Amino acid sequence: MRILLVEDDDLLAAGIRDTLERALYAVEWVDDGAHALAALQANSFDLVILDLGLPGLDGIEVLRRVRAGGAATPVLILSARDTAPDRVLGLDAGADDYLIKPFDVDELLARVRVLQRRQRGAAINVIEHGRLTLNPAALSVTFDGRPVALQRREFMLLQRLLQSPGQVLSRAQLEEAIYGWDGGIESNTVDVHIHKLRRKLYPEVIRTVRGIGYIADPPPSRLSA
Amino acid sequence: MNAHTARPARSIRTVLLAGTIMALLGVLGTAAWLSFEGSAEEAQELFDARLATSARVLEAFLARQVERSTLSSPIVITLPGQIESAGHDEPGPLGHYYETKIAFQVWDSDGNLLVRSASAPAQKFAPLAAGFSEQRFEQQPWRVFSLRSGQVWIQVAERDDVRSELSEKLAFAAVVPLIAGTVVLLVLLALLIGYGLAPLAKLAQQIEARQPGAETPIRLARTPAEIAPVLDALNGLLRRVRDALERERRFTADAAHELRTPLAALKVHAQNVARAATPAERQVSLERMLTGLDRTVRLTEQMLAYSRAAASSEPAQTKVPLRTLVAEAVEQLQSHIRERALRVDIASEPANELAEVSGDRQKLGSLVGNLLDNAVRYAPERSTIEVALRRTGDEVSLSVADEGRGIPPELRERVFESYYRMPGSAGSGSGLGLAIVKETAQTHGASVEISDARAGRGTRVVVRFRSELAPRTLY
Repeated sequence: MRILLVEDDDLLAAGIRDTLERALYAVEWVDDGAHALAALQANSFDLVILDLGLPGLDGIEVLRRVRAGGAATPVLILSARDTAPDRVLGLDAGADDYLIKPFDVDELLARVRVLQRRQRGAAINVIEHGRLTLNPAALSVTFDGRPVALQRREFMLLQRLLQSPGQVLSRAQLEEAIYGWDGGIESNTVDVHIHKLRRKLYPEVIRTVRGIGYIADPPPSRLSA
Repeated sequence: MNAHTARPARSIRTVLLAGTIMALLGVLGTAAWLSFEGSAEEAQELFDARLATSARVLEAFLARQVERSTLSSPIVITLPGQIESAGHDEPGPLGHYYETKIAFQVWDSDGNLLVRSASAPAQKFAPLAAGFSEQRFEQQPWRVFSLRSGQVWIQVAERDDVRSELSEKLAFAAVVPLIAGTVVLLVLLALLIGYGLAPLAKLAQQIEARQPGAETPIRLARTPAEIAPVLDALNGLLRRVRDALERERRFTADAAHELRTPLAALKVHAQNVARAATPAERQVSLERMLTGLDRTVRLTEQMLAYSRAAASSEPAQTKVPLRTLVAEAVEQLQSHIRERALRVDIASEPANELAEVSGDRQKLGSLVGNLLDNAVRYAPERSTIEVALRRTGDEVSLSVADEGRGIPPELRERVFESYYRMPGSAGSGSGLGLAIVKETAQTHGASVEISDARAGRGTRVVVRFRSELAPRTLY
C-alpha cells in the first residue's frame, strides 16, 4: 500500500510518515502542489493524504486537477481549515475524506484503512483469503487460525497481493508497494520476499506469472460462493 | 445607569434658564427702579408746581384782605362733612377725600395765625422761610411751600402719601408689562432650549442602544451645527475602535488557525512516542516532538511580539543605539551562525556610529532580531551576512543583506503580511518576522524596503529612521 503525503510543514510530515511507515505503509512525501501533481503523474498511489494550505498551488486546486485528469485515487484531506463550508468544498472537489488538524493518529490510521478497504469494495478491514486472514490494523496474519510471524516487507507484499485477488501485479508495482523513494531497491528483493512468504505460508498462495509478475489466485471458497 | 456615571455638571438647560432669569431680573429691576424714580420725580415736580400755584391763588384772593385785619381768632375754612368722612379715594360730587390731606395756613409777620384750612394744625407747618421744605407732623411727612406776600406768610402743605401713591402707580404701570413679558419669555426660552437640546438626548439614546460591533456610523435626523463636530469625532472614534477590534479578532482567529499545524505535529509525535515498538522509534519521535515544541514556543513568542508591535499604544521614548541591538541579536543567533558557518559583517558609517533612534527598546530589539533571524535562516551555508548602520543628515538606516535566494519583486509587499510564508520556504518560519518588522517600523515612523542584495541575488532589507522626528503612532 503506497501513500502520497502532500504537506508543507516538514515536521508534521515527518510525524505522519513515521506513523504510516510504522503501520507498514510505503510513504512518499512532497511539500507543495506542483510536486504533488508531478508525483501523481509519474507514479501510482493507493492513497493521497493532502494538506490544503500549500504554498503556491493550493490543495483544493491540486485535487481538482487530479480529478479532472480522471484519476480515481482516494484522497484524504488533512487541513487546519475546520469550518463546514471548507469541508464541503474539499469533499465536493473530489476528496474521499476530511480530517482536521490536530488529529488523532489512531483516527488517521483507521480512516486510511477505510479508504483502503473501500477500494477493495469490502465492508470490513480484515482480508479473508481461503485459509489466510490478514488484519491491516493489527498488522497480523493467521494461517488456519494460527498466527504467522512475517517480516515488514513480507507483510506489505502479501497485503498488496491479497488486496487485488486474481490480478497479476508486475514486479515494479510490488516494489512500489514496499519501498519509499529513498529506499534502495535491489533487483531481486521482491522475489526473495515472495519465496519467504511461500515458505512461511504455503507454496500456492502466490503464483508466478512468467515474464509479468505475481498473482494471488482467488481462493476456491470465493469462487464457489 | 451605573455607579460609575460621573456626577453631571450643571445642565445646559439650568444654566441658560438661570442665567436668563438673573439677567432679566437685573435689567428689569433697574428699569423698574429707574422708571419709579423718574415718575416719582416728575410727579414731585408737578405737585410742587401745583402747590406753589395754590399758594399764589391764596395770595391773590386772601392775603390782601387779611393783611390789615386784626382777628381775635383765626378763620378756619372747613370742608363738607361727607368729604372728611369719605375715607375712600373715589371722587364725589362735592370734592375728594384727599382734600383732607392738603392744607394751608396764613400767618402775619408777628406769627399770628390768620387763616387755616380745617385739615391744617394750629401750629406753623414750617419756619417762616420762603420756598419748599419737608416737614413732619401728626406722624406724617408733608411737603410744604412757604410764600411771603407783604406782611403775610402763606404756607401750603400736602401729605407725601398723596404724591407717592401716584408715582408708585405710575412706576407699577410701567413695570407690570415688563414682568408679564419676562414670564412669557422664560416659558418660550425653556421650550426653545428643550427643542435645541433634543438632538443631544437623541444622540445619547443612540449611543446607549448601540452594540459594540455595530457597523454603521451614528446618524441623527437633525444634526445642529454645534453637535456635528462631536458626532463626526465620535463616529471617527467608533470606526477606529471597530477596526482595532476587527484586527484583534482576525489576529486571534489567525493565531488559532496557525497553531493547528504545529499542534498537529506535536500530537502526532507524542502519539508516535506512545505507540513506538522499539526504543529507536521512540527516540526518533521524541526528538522530533522536542523540535516541534521549540518551534511552537518560537511561534507563540513571535505571535506575542507581533501583537505587541501592532498594538496602538504610544511607544516608549528612549534613545536606543541600534548597534547594541545588532550585537545582541548576533549573540542570540550565535549557535545558528556557527552551525551554518556564516560570517556576519557589521559596518557603521561614520565609524563607531551607534545609530541612535528614539523609541521602544524591546520593540526595536524585536525588529533587529527578526531581520537577522531571517538572514541567518535563509543564508546559504558559509555565506556572509552584511549589516550596515548609516547616519546621513537626520536619517539613520539599518541594512541587513544575505546571499540567500532572494524575494521576487512581486512578493516584496506580500512578505510583510502576517503568517505569509514564501512558497518553498517550508518549515520552521512563523511567517510573522517581517510583519513584526513592518509594524514596529510603522509605529516608529520608519520605512522598510526590500531589494536584491546584489543584482538578482540575495535579500537586502533597509529600515530608515528619521532621527529628528518624534515617532508617530498609528492613532
